[in-house]
Amino acid sequence: MRNIYEVQKSNKLKSAVIVALFVVFVALATYVLTKALGVYVGYEPSELGFVGVALILSGFSSFIGYYFSDQIILGISGARPADKKRDFTFYTVAENISIGAGIPIPKLYVIADSAPNAFATGRDPEHAAICVTVGLLEKLDRTELEGVIAHEMSHIRNYDTRLMSVVSVMVGLIALLGDWLLRATWFGGRKSDNDKGGAGSIFLVLGIVFAILSPIIGQLIQLAISRRREFTADAGSVSLTRQPSGLISALTKISLDKEALEVANKATAHLYICSPFKNKKGEVSWFANLFNTHPPISDRINVLKEMT
Amino acid sequence: MIYIILAVLIILVFWVISVYNYFVSTKTRVDASIQEIGNQLKRQSELIPNLEASAKGYLSHEKGIFEELTSARKAISSAVESGSLEKMADAGKMLSEVLPKIQVVVESNPEIKGNEVVKNLMDELRDTSDKVMYARRLLIDLTADYNVKMVSFPSNVIAGIFHFGKLKGLETPVDGDELKVKSDEMKTPKVNL
Repeated sequence: MRNIYEVQKSNKLKSAVIVALFVVFVALATYVLTKALGVYVGYEPSELGFVGVALILSGFSSFIGYYFSDQIILGISGARPADKKRDFTFYTVAENISIGAGIPIPKLYVIADSAPNAFATGRDPEHAAICVTVGLLEKLDRTELEGVIAHEMSHIRNYDTRLMSVVSVMVGLIALLGDWLLRATWFGGRKSDNDKGGAGSIFLVLGIVFAILSPIIGQLIQLAISRRREFTADAGSVSLTRQPSGLISALTKISLDKEALEVANKATAHLYICSPFKNKKGEVSWFANLFNTHPPISDRINVLKEMT
Repeated sequence: MIYIILAVLIILVFWVISVYNYFVSTKTRVDASIQEIGNQLKRQSELIPNLEASAKGYLSHEKGIFEELTSARKAISSAVESGSLEKMADAGKMLSEVLPKIQVVVESNPEIKGNEVVKNLMDELRDTSDKVMYARRLLIDLTADYNVKMVSFPSNVIAGIFHFGKLKGLETPVDGDELKVKSDEMKTPKVNL
């Protein structure tokens, strides 16, 4: 039995540890990869040379996604703005939770999809949006909906979109650097006249190992961060509504639902309250779990039950 | 060496500023949340006349409820005007005691239950009492956060230097009948929705 404050504290700590691990990994990988690239291309890079270019390339695409995330995703998902008369429960629940969270009311949208799901997006609480499907509104009662909306509101309050954008820029950066190095070795490249026996060749070998492995490792850490943020948002939801039972039964209903969300794709999967991709088996091995954006529902429910 | 000391000093100054700003802004947000409670209560009291007007025809034999409603509404408007949190809490309590009674009558009377206007008004009233609840929750959370920061090290040093006092938050009675739990209150209530 842990109370909500203990759960939140442990989430904060675990989140910080994963993010710190990620930063160390990114620093190490970029260092090794640029060094190796330097050996290959034949000049000692002014350290930031390659990183700068890769950062700009990787950052640009993610920045657009980050800055216009609400418009882009809403454009893809074909959402209509929520209306107080038509979506009374959704609208008022969102109003209430944002009063409780002390943040402005996000823009509210409804997607015409019968699979129950919800997501939040936007770079900060002032530009946030919450989207729910028609299926969610039809299948959940008010208390369950409060749990779901409070979960999304916690994502907004914790700046999760911002965090995940920065993380994906970093993963993109490593992937780009690794790609360049592999291409350079593949096509032979310009051989440098540097001393091959010393540090140069070590960096070259290390660099190739990193080029192959680090995009995968980077993505695995990114997914671990995403899963941790889900646990954090669940705890945040309980701290807002003080009713773990609402979120528990909402998660149960959503996960038992057979329909798959049609508008979801891999790029937006981490935003949803439950993974929009249904896996056939209920139990997930720890290895398969490494590749999931969301923790297994049963784990989330167990943590929520501890708080009741 | 001098640079390290300088860096440490700069970090320290930024930390002091951020803690100071935390205390100041939380105080402001607490005031705002008290105002929000008042606003929502007022909104609720303004909905009542509408409910009375549209439901009176059906409820002519339930005079008592309307008298309670009217007095709750008066208590709310005077409490909101006075701006005192304790009065607002009392008035809100009066209203939250009447609402379930109307709910019971509406539920048991298919004629009113079918009335769209009454149904909407009941939804609005229920929603507004949720809003009052969430505004109170925000106030409680903010004051709890503030008070924890005020006594825990090292932020308590800053609170001491700038004389930040403890926030009262929602005053709850320390003794009295409200705190005693009767055995039938421990049972899980049956709720029909």
